[in-house]
Amino acid sequence: MGTVHARSLDPLPMQGPELGVQADDMDLGEPEQEEKQEVLENKDVVVQHVHIDGLGRTKEDILTYEVADVFRAKNLIDVMKKSHEARQKLLRLGIFRHVEVVIDTTEGADALPNGLDVTFEVKELRRMTGSYNTMVGNNEGSMVLGLKLPNVFGRAEKLTFQFSYGTKETSYGLSFFKPQPGHFERNFSINLYKVTGQFPWSSLRETDRGVSTEFSFPIWRTNHTLKWEGVWRELGCLARTASFSVREESGHSLKSSLSHTMVIDTRNSTILPRKGALLKINQELAGYTGGDVSFLKEDFEIQLNKTLFWDSVLSTSLWGGMLLPLGDKPSSIADRFYLGGPTSVRGYSMYSIGPQSEGDYLGGEAFWAGGLHLYTPLPFRPGRGGFGELFRTHFFLNAGNLCNLNYGEGPRAHLSKLAECIRWSYGAGIVLRLGNIARLELNYCIPMGVQSGDRICDGVQFGAGIRFL
Amino acid sequence: MSLAAEAFVSQIAAAEPWPENATLYQPLKEDQILLSDSASSLAVQTFLRMCGLPVLVSCRANAEYMSPSGKVPFIHVGNQVVSELGLIVQFTKAKGHSLSDGLDDVQRAEMKAYMELVNNMLLTAELYIQWCDDYTATEISRPRYSSPYSWPLNHILAYQKQWEVRRKMNAIGWSGKSLEQVYEDVSQCCQALSQRLGTQPYFFNKQPTELDALVFGHLFTILTTQLTNDELAEKVKSYTNLLSFCHRIEQAYFKEHDRESQSGSSRHSKGSLP
Repeated sequence: MGTVHARSLDPLPMQGPELGVQADDMDLGEPEQEEKQEVLENKDVVVQHVHIDGLGRTKEDILTYEVADVFRAKNLIDVMKKSHEARQKLLRLGIFRHVEVVIDTTEGADALPNGLDVTFEVKELRRMTGSYNTMVGNNEGSMVLGLKLPNVFGRAEKLTFQFSYGTKETSYGLSFFKPQPGHFERNFSINLYKVTGQFPWSSLRETDRGVSTEFSFPIWRTNHTLKWEGVWRELGCLARTASFSVREESGHSLKSSLSHTMVIDTRNSTILPRKGALLKINQELAGYTGGDVSFLKEDFEIQLNKTLFWDSVLSTSLWGGMLLPLGDKPSSIADRFYLGGPTSVRGYSMYSIGPQSEGDYLGGEAFWAGGLHLYTPLPFRPGRGGFGELFRTHFFLNAGNLCNLNYGEGPRAHLSKLAECIRWSYGAGIVLRLGNIARLELNYCIPMGVQSGDRICDGVQFGAGIRFL
Repeated sequence: MSLAAEAFVSQIAAAEPWPENATLYQPLKEDQILLSDSASSLAVQTFLRMCGLPVLVSCRANAEYMSPSGKVPFIHVGNQVVSELGLIVQFTKAKGHSLSDGLDDVQRAEMKAYMELVNNMLLTAELYIQWCDDYTATEISRPRYSSPYSWPLNHILAYQKQWEVRRKMNAIGWSGKSLEQVYEDVSQCCQALSQRLGTQPYFFNKQPTELDALVFGHLFTILTTQLTNDELAEKVKSYTNLLSFCHRIEQAYFKEHDRESQSGSSRHSKGSLP
């Protein structure tokens, strides 16, 4: 929270909580004793000038949108509220290190008796920030170099570059982000990347080199993203013992796809939300803008959360998806869905549910997965109010199925195919929240409904990630 | 593979008989396969026919990437995948089929030497002509190699392959050679083969060996493949005993089977021998 300095129009005391602004930083002038007390809330003021001090390369035109609202304030409380909101908006642009607000009376020739001047004192971020890390993982080490250029051309554009050079793989990513002036939620970004992945559950190695552009915009309460992506994919076997089905998928392919995502997120937090719901629907159409692969892919994610008695939270989630290959070529292993593991159906090994060949999991064209969780604070509440708040115990019930559909048959046949051979599991464990991005879990799982070919991980299972069922 | 692993694999290989559904994978015959790969594939097919082992030929656009060593052709037998003639000969030997059992040590060493000659001379010359000669590369090799892929991946892969072959030529010292010198080398190689063959039906005794399969594969493909000019084919044709050698093997091993599997008409291949 920044500080708000305000010199009172009349020497009257102002009391913090009534103003509806977090007043712990407020620095008030000395209250002078007066017999007559005027209630400030009713006093009309006019904001005559709004200044922004400390601009270097930022262009002023984008900032006028963010601070325009301040002019509409009618009384002092309003001014403080609106300038606080404007401050949040300026910080959200991601181009300032900090923003301070100073509210003062107007001075000068055109000053009105109830005129106010609001000044935002900003400090811009440095032109370029860099970071350098070394990482050591499974039998490999890598050096990661990151460069960030916030506010490249003065209108909150951001350029980031990350380069990772490792003993086994090299990858990089370059990203350019530009918001629309005045409407920060409408933005577009262009990305260029090369990523390599190793998937031991399928004995597959994948190298993707791609370029993508995306547009995001809000419509009413939903957030939409339109994206075009062109990826050169190179698949290979991870080991000489890979199954022949995986070997057949080796080689190069080009995917050019358009995708659309709609998100409605009313949760209060992404990790361990206490209330709210999430609905995310994504579709992807590949093949009509070039490329070798042609398919239509749909997937959705629903999550509902509700706080129950005694600080416990009940959470249900449902995932599902379908891949329809268009044309006569079968779907590629890189496009199919995978299921299982500590982040989806717990109790099973990572992505080890569904069609497989000689121990390599090939993924499936349709899936669904559901979870029911009860999160409670740790028993006896150790470390209450501090470290203990990051932990939760949870009891869960997960279920799901992954299979290939025979698209010649009707929807009834598809539903019955997805409903047979359901894998499910239940158990309990501890969840640790890491910031607002990730969580760690340690669970005791009991998998049920195991089909031949699935690999299970019953007993204690550890999971870390950002997206959990 | 380590010696122990090879011995283990041989044991496993020996344990199972040759299955009916053994398959050989090569690039697409009509549009994609190039001279050098076609020659190698034909050599392996000839060898297996000489051994009397059935094999199905399957054409895949990504055969080169499916192969464990990156070279075509490769065979999928049971659940083993073996690529390149040398390893395939070893593999079939482990299963109990061999063409060179009747040879003594001196002859076997001679056979290996001639096979090396063919690989180092003929195969390298084929690769040179395909990828280092600009005209052939532009007219034939790059368009064919990249035909299964869409833009811009086709150009990227074709140029990548060309650079790779040129680097290899550099490494073995062939990049300084001119096209004429390469044709000369081919001619000399054919002369050596012709002299060794003499008037015999096959290179060793009256029974064919893997050397015969290899030589047939390369010579037949050179004679029946349309390149930008006919010089390469002419060099081979000038040795009549090699020409009749190819005829003989074609008659013996390919005529009684389905014609289209070998000398089928395609724009690249000219069909049967002249």
